[in-house]
Amino acid sequence: MSFFADSFSAAVDLITAFDPALYQVVFNSVSISLFATLIAGAVAIPAGIVMALNQFLGKQVIQHILNTLMAMPTVLIGLLLYGLLSRLGPLGHLELLYTPTAIIIAEAILIFPIMMNLAIAAVTTADPRLVPTLISLGAKPFALAIQVAKQTRFIMLAALITGFGRAIGEVGAAMMVGGNIEGYTRTMTTAIALETSKGEFEVGLALGLLLLIIAFFVNFILSLLQRENR
Amino acid sequence: MTAAYQLNKIKVFHQQQCSLDIPQLTIEADHCIALLGDNGAGKSTLLNLLAYLNRPSEGELQLMGHTIKSGLSSAQRQTIGYVDQQPFLLSGSISDNIALALKLQGIPAAQRPQRIDNALQQVNLNHLASQSANTLSGGELKRAAIARAIAHDPQILLLDEPFSHLDQSHIQQLELIIENLAAQTGKTVIFSTHDRLQGAALADITINLIQGKITKSPLLNVFHGQLNDKTFNTGKLSIQTTGQQKKANHVAIDPHEIIISTEVLDSSMRNNFSGRLTTISEEAGTIHLTIDCQERFYAIISPESLQILGLSIGDKLCLSFKSTAVSLF
Repeated sequence: MSFFADSFSAAVDLITAFDPALYQVVFNSVSISLFATLIAGAVAIPAGIVMALNQFLGKQVIQHILNTLMAMPTVLIGLLLYGLLSRLGPLGHLELLYTPTAIIIAEAILIFPIMMNLAIAAVTTADPRLVPTLISLGAKPFALAIQVAKQTRFIMLAALITGFGRAIGEVGAAMMVGGNIEGYTRTMTTAIALETSKGEFEVGLALGLLLLIIAFFVNFILSLLQRENR
Repeated sequence: MTAAYQLNKIKVFHQQQCSLDIPQLTIEADHCIALLGDNGAGKSTLLNLLAYLNRPSEGELQLMGHTIKSGLSSAQRQTIGYVDQQPFLLSGSISDNIALALKLQGIPAAQRPQRIDNALQQVNLNHLASQSANTLSGGELKRAAIARAIAHDPQILLLDEPFSHLDQSHIQQLELIIENLAAQTGKTVIFSTHDRLQGAALADITINLIQGKITKSPLLNVFHGQLNDKTFNTGKLSIQTTGQQKKANHVAIDPHEIIISTEVLDSSMRNNFSGRLTTISEEAGTIHLTIDCQERFYAIISPESLQILGLSIGDKLCLSFKSTAVSLF
């Protein structure tokens, strides 16, 4: 018990002392996850809206693939990306392995199906009169998608936040394609894994607490948005 | 006269069941038209087709003489204004809603404030222009939706059950708005209602729908029964028909064709019944009477006739109509 209490106290000290090494990891994690969220969201949300608004051959198949990808283990994404980005892989010449970009790609792939599914759900669960009303008012396909996005903006924002929350908590793929390089590709989750294995439990705990604070903050915004949407 | 719509061999299927079957129908422009029928008769299905929100499963639908195959062009969409049975207003104020509609219709920004003002004036909602759409009452919501639908000055206005779920004062306001819109030159107003008396009173033309099919019957004074030769027996009354039809389970008598008198008329009319006056109401400048002659009959008379006859509830009245006024189906 004393071990845990001492470690917890040391972890709080590290957080309140604004330890630069600790906050460098936090900054890395937040910026990587933010980029991954913005990149995935920029594609997933419009794609989700377009898919929800249109009927086409193969729509069911795409939906099944999305659902499958949502359940895909992160280490598998890491493994596939490792194969693609490693020096001998087809994208090896880009020299992206063990860079923050590689983690951004991995996290973006990870959260893409989640965000697209949420965007689809946002449109399909919106008021059933929304789309016919907009069409009757003269909305052409592009304007229709824009207006639907505007009317469901809180749920779309919630999709972005959910994606961010999932990305920042990711460890498997980040470790495999990022390499956990200090000051470069070390994220909060990979650092927690490393520090704990090294016996630096208080550093891991400090990062864990910061991760928890970020998760709390993200969920707080999410609940505010949900309240706004009611 | 140009046709606003021309429907040929239209069929709409929902879950393999035919919910609308119209072999041929011409809807003339520049008229006020009421779609009459019970719930599930196909009124909304037809209005959705006319608004080009849904496509028919079979058949051809022409708008202003043009067959539309892939979708409406911007110019064609501008000819139609549509108000749903339960209108959906987007987030923002009433003005925001109308401004968006004008933007989507491609109306230049400079023209929008004036158009918003005009539209709101037509529905008496200027005072609520900046009010949030989700704080409106049912009647205000419908009027706001009408303002949004007419702001771009469409030639055709489609209204699905505009009077449903409204109190009497809002119904009267809406009736006046519809009358005023229909009175404008070149405007075609098509509205659906299950209140046949109201529809008949407001519209120049009525289209009667029963189970997805158009019937010539006015769907008022509809009685079930059996036809034996020229006599239709409802179980309570025997109604004389022309005998041109051999098989029918329903009769309907146009309320405009019913003559009301305080004494039995000596005339060529073959249907004469007496009963008690049970209700008197006013609808769009006409007087609606309900007379209980074992079967309940609706009749429409003018306010002048009401004054001349000096009617009051409970009076014993005679009603007469020709056998040619009886529709069989």
